[in-house]
Amino acid sequence: MTLRRLTLFAQHLVVPVVLLLAFGLWSAQAEDFFFPPLTEIVRVFADNWLFDRVGSDLVPSVLRLLAGYAISVVGGVTFGVLFGMSRILRTATDPVVQFLRALPAPALIPFAMLVFGTGNSSKVFIIVLGTMWPILLNTLDGVRGVEEQQLDMARSYRIPMTARLAHIILPAASPRIFAGMRTSLGIGIILMVVSEMVASRNGIGYFVLQSQRSFEIPAMWGGVILLGLLGLTLSWIFVRVENRVLRWHRGANGLLPESDQSSKKAGSTARKNAPEVNDA
Amino acid sequence: MLEVSRLRKVYGADPQAAPAIDDVTFSVADREFVCILGSSGCGKSTLLRCLSGLIPATSGEILLHGDPVLAPPKDMAFVFQDYSRSLLPWMTVARNVSFPLRYKGVSKEDAQKATEEALEAVGLSGRQKRYPWQLSGGMQQRVAIARALAYRPKILLMDEPFASLDAQTRFDLEDLLLDIWRRFDVTVLFITHDIDEAVYLADRVLVLEAPAKVALDVDIPLPRPRDQLKTKQLPEFAELRTRLFSAIQREPAAL
Repeated sequence: MTLRRLTLFAQHLVVPVVLLLAFGLWSAQAEDFFFPPLTEIVRVFADNWLFDRVGSDLVPSVLRLLAGYAISVVGGVTFGVLFGMSRILRTATDPVVQFLRALPAPALIPFAMLVFGTGNSSKVFIIVLGTMWPILLNTLDGVRGVEEQQLDMARSYRIPMTARLAHIILPAASPRIFAGMRTSLGIGIILMVVSEMVASRNGIGYFVLQSQRSFEIPAMWGGVILLGLLGLTLSWIFVRVENRVLRWHRGANGLLPESDQSSKKAGSTARKNAPEVNDA
Repeated sequence: MLEVSRLRKVYGADPQAAPAIDDVTFSVADREFVCILGSSGCGKSTLLRCLSGLIPATSGEILLHGDPVLAPPKDMAFVFQDYSRSLLPWMTVARNVSFPLRYKGVSKEDAQKATEEALEAVGLSGRQKRYPWQLSGGMQQRVAIARALAYRPKILLMDEPFASLDAQTRFDLEDLLLDIWRRFDVTVLFITHDIDEAVYLADRVLVLEAPAKVALDVDIPLPRPRDQLKTKQLPEFAELRTRLFSAIQREPAAL
């Protein structure tokens, strides 16, 4: 088992290592201004991000992202549940939701600057504006897709509405909620960078643009690499959490490793609610 | 005592539309085991949903122990046909069974005791921490039955609970149900389209004709305890089955 894992891990590393080596060898003698030697990039990266600028640029960026994302999750799930459960609310709000979701969030950066200034709140606003909709719409679909019979069961046992919401509707919708959250996480990182590039005094996006403007190309690349690593880390954490929370869902769909599955037969339960990634 | 009189159900707003249930009258005594037999589409599921208070009847009256049933009553439990859709896959077996108890005002200790007892009665002790999807279909339906038992109902409504199980599992669960029915002192109202199942289980069989009307009310005087082999070998069993079969044959197929 561990040997298999090691082999798998090695297989994952082959392509990145080869690419890095190739770029490293080529860039070492290329003397191209736009593509500085890899060693130089790594050196500058270490200078900047171990740990000089962590407090001044990385932390503010991450906090903006997390704040915006948290607001979107809470708001998206709340409104998604409300709209999913009420036909009237759903019909009445649909045009506005569709409009806002179709609106490219960066288009409102100038407005955000006017109203919120160049501080954190304008960035958080932009992030919320772009990440709320996938979560809201997926939650809405998830809530509508709850098995009728589970709700009948709850009614026949006289389970109160709040408990139905907490123990049936939300869990049943959770695969879709997570699908929306996954889409939104990617959008959130993009909007974090974009909003920091337009009007900002710090943040990774600001740092990348600033480095380019002062012709510090290795530092610019360092910022780009940091953004990639940040995205990787966040999605890694996300997948961990999702796997844990949605273990039942993978089990019910027969997607768990055999050792966890044991004697199971009919597994049509949650198919209907299987996550489909919604485009933003 | 469950009394149903002149029950009628029409879906939709149009009172002239074809009724799903048309004028159903019958009563079930306490601790009686009554099977409602009918071919598919004859309105038997609609009837059970009305009786459970899940959907309102258009007209007529349902009295449970003298009180009209307008919403799901406290001492009634419902076992659905599709166990995989009525169990909650995100809860363990024990949580599924104890889930309704918390809202019935049962204390935590009592709920736990009732859960263990019910799971034991259906032969699932030791599976408390499993999830429904880790169990076979027959075991999942046992969990659903255990959930109903733990709720301590006076009347158990069952909507073709064994229809989607294989024959052997169905026989096992039929015997399990008869055993439980005796031990827990409940009234059972059991819907099925399987004539043998109805005759084997019931004290009385009501044959439903589409649109649901009680076409026949047959006492099943077969001796108890019943046995899958011996009971089904009795000449009376064959006689009753033939009688019910011809009653069902006579009505037009409603599909």
